[in-house]
Amino acid sequence: MSTNAADPMSGFDTTIHAPNRLRICALLDTAGEAEFGVVQEQLGVSASVLSKHVTVLMEAGYVEQRKAVRDTRQRVWLALTRQGREAFRAHQAALRAIVGP
Amino acid sequence: METNEAASQPTPEQARAALADADEVRASVAALSATPWPVWFVVAITAMFVVLPIALGGMLAEPDWLMPRWAWLVTMLATEVLFFALFAVAARNWRARTGVALRLDVLPTWATVAAAVVLPLIVVGAAYAFRDTRQPLWLFGAVAVGVALSVGFHLWFVRLHGKAS
Repeated sequence: MSTNAADPMSGFDTTIHAPNRLRICALLDTAGEAEFGVVQEQLGVSASVLSKHVTVLMEAGYVEQRKAVRDTRQRVWLALTRQGREAFRAHQAALRAIVGP
Repeated sequence: METNEAASQPTPEQARAALADADEVRASVAALSATPWPVWFVVAITAMFVVLPIALGGMLAEPDWLMPRWAWLVTMLATEVLFFALFAVAARNWRARTGVALRLDVLPTWATVAAAVVLPLIVVGAAYAFRDTRQPLWLFGAVAVGVALSVGFHLWFVRLHGKAS
C-alpha cells in the first residue's frame, strides 16, 4: 500500500479498518509485542475470532507471530511488522483527516 | 467476521468512534506496559545505586580508602554482574506476568534520557570529588540521588499503572 503525505486519505486501509483489526493494530502498536491470550482478553473476543483476524492481518503482511514458552506452556506472541505499523499509522491519519479539524 | 466490503470509507462520526475505540485499547494496554517491577527488583536496583558510587569512589581513592582499590574494583564488578543477572530474571518474569513486551519508552523521554545522562555524571563526578577532597559526603550525596531516582521511578510506574487501569 502506498501512502501519500499530501493526501492522508490515501492511507485509508480497509483491511485494518474492520473494528477488531483496528483494535488489534492499536494494541500491538502500543504494546510492541503481546501474547495471544492477552490480546484476546483485552479485546474480549474468542480465540477463534481473534485467530481469524490475525490470519487476515498476517496475510496482508501486517502482523507476525512467534512462539515462546510462558508459564511452562508454548504461547504465541504477536507483533506488528514494519509494514503493518506504517499502514496502521497511515490509517489513523486517514481517520483523523475524515474527522477533520 | 468483519469483511473488507463492510469497511468502506466511514463518515466523520464513524471515524471518530473508530479513533476513540483505538485510543481506549491503547490506554488499557498502556496500563499493562506500565506494570511496576516487583519490589525485590526495586530493592536490588536501589542497592546497586548504593554500592556503585561508594565502590567507584574507593576505586579512585589515593591512597586506599577502607580497603585496597582492587577490592573496590571487584566489589563494583560483582555488583554489576549480580545486577544484570537479576535484571534478566526480573525482565523474563515481568514479560511472563504481563504478556506484553518490555518497553523503555513508558516514561517520558526527557525523564529517561535525563536519568541515563545525569546519574552517571553525578556518580563519576562524586567519585572524582571524593578523590580530590577525601570527603565521603560526595559519595553519600551520589547515593542519595541514585536511591531517590530508583524509588521515584518505581512510584511513577505505580502511579501510571494505577491511573491507566
